[in-house]
Order: sequence, then structure tokens, then C-alpha cells
Amino acid sequence: MGLENYLSNATMEVFASMIFIDITPESPSGEPMPEIEPNLSSLIGLAGDLKGILAIHCPSAVALGVTAAMLGMEVTELDEDVKDAIGEIANMVAGGLKESLAAEDKKIELAIPTTVIGKSIRTSGLSGATRAMVTFSSPLGRFGVELRFILS
Amino acid sequence: MNSCTEINDRLIESTIEIFTGMVMMDISVAGEPMNKLGPLKKSITGMVGLAGTHKGVLAVHFPKQVALAVTSNFLGMEVEEINEDVQDAIGEIANMLGGNLKTILSDRGKDIQLSLPSTIFGDEYAFSSQAEVDQVILPFQAPAGLFYVEVELER
Repeated sequence: MGLENYLSNATMEVFASMIFIDITPESPSGEPMPEIEPNLSSLIGLAGDLKGILAIHCPSAVALGVTAAMLGMEVTELDEDVKDAIGEIANMVAGGLKESLAAEDKKIELAIPTTVIGKSIRTSGLSGATRAMVTFSSPLGRFGVELRFILS
Repeated sequence: MNSCTEINDRLIESTIEIFTGMVMMDISVAGEPMNKLGPLKKSITGMVGLAGTHKGVLAVHFPKQVALAVTSNFLGMEVEEINEDVQDAIGEIANMLGGNLKTILSDRGKDIQLSLPSTIFGDEYAFSSQAEVDQVILPFQAPAGLFYVEVELER
């Protein structure tokens, strides 16, 4: 099960169909990738054959730029619109993951997206969970899509 | 669906039960249910998603000193910083509360599933879900300070 691939494909598809910003998955090549320092993280819970939490981690510039592109209007603050836009992206990426897993006969259900906005925020799962992380580069900057999960 | 007040009452009851029985800490209700919480400062939030017939999120917000006291009591060991033990303890409390909420919302909880619990912490952050939800925040008083249990359910 190539969860990183699923995450990467689902994210690319959302960006290609709704946001129209070119993004490229960064391939881990020996060198550890610099961490993403998010100012905004949108999280959504997954339940079923895979129990997990999916998160989109964005620095301010990416969150603002993506929201502006998605809504077709200028956005200068991390406000309600940004929260809703990135939350919706988390929802759609999780939906894409759900489809990929369904093709393997693994059924999952989605909770609702929640967004955290702040300074030096960190998120973590339970210590026993597995982590899959894909980072992307874009004209707006880097951002990350993370999945922490256990198979049940 | 049960009325909101009944859900609140049963959630308050089960929060007190979990703290008395599992954390070995006496807590009490600290006022009326709230609709909005300001930015959380030096805090840790444990959250768990609900999926199925009811979709939503249960979150529990602890200021750092309350989180440390809760973890110390819960695990029976001293903790002084927000480390992996604290994250696991707070995640587990969210998980237990989510399990109870499941049973409150649906008979024996059979049509609702929980996601993996997760924790968020930071110097200052705001926590919120999408617009179309019913939301309630229940304040509690622990010996080390106030903490909040928040439920957001899709309409």
C-alpha cells in the first residue's frame, strides 16, 4: 500500500482541478527535508479499516495564496475564509485517499475538518501510530500533507 | 437526535466520571456551556474525530499546567514538560471522551466510529472547525486550573 503515493496523487488532483497552482511533490533523497513550520494546520479524522488523522500544514504565505486562488479574491489575513478553504482541501484530499483505499477493499469514513491557526503550533498522533508525510513545493512556498494512522 | 441539553448533561457526567475514575482527580463544572473560546495560550489540545451517522470532532483543551497535572495523575509519574507522555495521555483522554460521546449520540455507539486521537500544542493558537456545525464548549475546574471540553457536530 503506497500511502505516500495516495496522498501525493490526491493532493495533486485537488490542486489541478480546483486551485490551478502548480505543485510538485518533493522526493526525499537522503538529505533530511527541512521541516514545514505551519501557521495553519487543517486536520480531519479518518475511521474504519484505517484509523488516522490527515493534516495539511501551511505557512501563512501558502495558506493565503491557495485561498486567494481558490476563491478568486484577495486574502491578506488568516481569517474564516482561509480556515474554510484549507479545511475543504483537507476534506477533499481525505476523500481522494478514501477512494484509493476503497480500491484495495479498505473502507474508511471521514470526520469533519478542524483548523488550527497560530504561532509555532505542533501536532502529533499517538506514539504507536505510523506516519506518512509528503511535502510539496509551489510558487507560494512549501507545504506538507501528513497522515498518522494505525490499521485496524 | 437527543436534545442538546441532554447531550451536554451526559457529557458533563461522563467527563467527571473519567476524571474521578481514571485520572483520580476531582473536577467540577465551571459555569454555563459556551459558544466561543478565545485563542488558547501555552496549551495542549487532544482531539478525536467522529465518523458515521454523526460526523464531528471532540476536543479537550488544557492549559499547560493543567495538562502536566492531569498527566502526572493519570500515568502516576512526574512530568515537567509537554513531552510524548503528555501527548499520549491527553490524546487518550480525548479518546475516552470520544468513546462516551459515541454512546451518548447513538445507542451503544454502534453507528459511529472514532478516528485516531491527535494532539495539538503551541504558544498561541485558535481552534475551529468549518461553519456548518453545532458547537458547544463545556468549562471545567480542576485543582490546577480550568480546562474545556468542546464538541462540534455536523448539522
